[in-house]
Amino acid sequence: MMKTIPEHVRNSWRRRLLAGLLASPLLWLALLSAGRQWPYPALLPLEWTPEHWSRLLTGRSDLAFSLFFSLGLSGGVAVLITALSFGVSRAVAYHRRRRYWLLAAYLPYVFSPVILAACLQYFFLRANLAGAVAGVFVAQVLITMPYGVIFFTNFWNGHIRSLEQLAYTLGSSRWQATLYVLWPAARGTLLTGFFQIFLISWFEYGLTQLIGLGKAPTLTIKVFQYVQEANLFYAALAGTLLALPPVVLLWINKRFVFSRML
Amino acid sequence: MRSRSQPWLLALFALLTVAPLAAGILYALAYSLGLTGLLNTGFTLAHWQAVLGAGVFWQALWFSAAQAVGAISLALALALVVVLWRPGAFQTGLLSFAIYLPLTLPAIVVAFLAFQGLSKSGLLSRIAYALGFIGGLEQFPDLVNDPAGIGILLAHAGMATPFFILLLTQLYEQERVAAYADLAATLGATRRQRILKVQTPLLLRRAFPTVVLYALFVMSAYEIPLLLGSQSRPMVTVLAVEKLQRYNLADIPQAYTISVLYSVVVIGATLWLLGRQKTQ
Repeated sequence: MMKTIPEHVRNSWRRRLLAGLLASPLLWLALLSAGRQWPYPALLPLEWTPEHWSRLLTGRSDLAFSLFFSLGLSGGVAVLITALSFGVSRAVAYHRRRRYWLLAAYLPYVFSPVILAACLQYFFLRANLAGAVAGVFVAQVLITMPYGVIFFTNFWNGHIRSLEQLAYTLGSSRWQATLYVLWPAARGTLLTGFFQIFLISWFEYGLTQLIGLGKAPTLTIKVFQYVQEANLFYAALAGTLLALPPVVLLWINKRFVFSRML
Repeated sequence: MRSRSQPWLLALFALLTVAPLAAGILYALAYSLGLTGLLNTGFTLAHWQAVLGAGVFWQALWFSAAQAVGAISLALALALVVVLWRPGAFQTGLLSFAIYLPLTLPAIVVAFLAFQGLSKSGLLSRIAYALGFIGGLEQFPDLVNDPAGIGILLAHAGMATPFFILLLTQLYEQERVAAYADLAATLGATRRQRILKVQTPLLLRRAFPTVVLYALFVMSAYEIPLLLGSQSRPMVTVLAVEKLQRYNLADIPQAYTISVLYSVVVIGATLWLLGRQKTQ
């Protein structure tokens, strides 16, 4: 007699299957990064090798430099923009024309970074910032600032304003109100904003390419370079490295990766 | 009250957001009108006439809009089906983590994966060969670098679907869609009526601003059409950058003309969207 599979077991397998499907692009990237030789019509690479990873981990691959370069660039942009946009967002949120200021933030936010880079290239050339790491840093500051302001403006709601006012009413100085009232309330939002700004910079390609002119070898630039060279295994390795920080952030807190704004 | 706005912070904000955008668009406008640039000969509308008169710009604009509408419609339809079928599926357990995994991939990596998966020598073609559906890679259809932009559409839809599933799952809770559906059922609505007249309109209405913003992002995308697009039918962003980087200096004013026209479309759409939200 044939046994019927219980509903909860069937559901559990369906869930695992779907989870596997969702994870498959990442797994495929990781798999390809350890491959060598993949002639048609083989389903998988014919050889597996730890060489790509060992070259990276021992610093013999230029991807190691790109990894640290990208981490430094995105970390720097995220630190600066988190601090700046948090302060600016307060001024925007409490301004009587808040709506117009926010509109001013939305326009560059939805604008294509690569078209913005095309339009601004002349100014970067004049300022000797084109083809320079500093130029890429400045360009990324310009595209992350609007996001930071829009993101943090939501923090300054009626509750936070009341807390601030209460602190002042009770005799707090501006410094005390910031340190003992705002900082504890804002810590979580700041951390989320920091990581989301980090990821915008981490994922950036078009603007970095157009302003950096190849002098800012971020991981996204390397992926494209490897694809153009038809070096798919190194492209997969660079892609895996690009996906690692977001996956780790996701593991820590989903909010670091998924923004409710978009 | 001490929480007054500080002008220097607002000035800094304007300097880092509005000023670069305005400067960039004005420079592009001046270049496109022959008022600046290497080959400028004074005011001229020739570059505008060349761009507006040529089919390639309108084709690129139409193609970009069609890609955005197509990819978003596909992703939204899939997400709606999933969320209405199993509203809580992605809120607990393994799937509540796994649904975020596709969001960890940048567009350039999605483009690379789509290329590896959908090209004639890609994974899908190899699977089709192994299953005996095709006798060689030449029989596999053109899914990347094709004039129809199937690869671009699938890559964007693949990126957007998990995002919309998460968005609609959140809205399903926030808008108490289940409660409204129950109410409709109590009043005698069939399952089909509940889906079409209650749940879907509720979700779509709340998701509308985000959907439009996402469509603008797809329209402005660069990496995916760059890798998966066709030379004969580029999207607007790729067309503008191509013209800017060509060795032919006469193409540069046209690149800036396209950039200005793109700016008008995007800024117009954003203003319309925000104005619409205000009136609601």
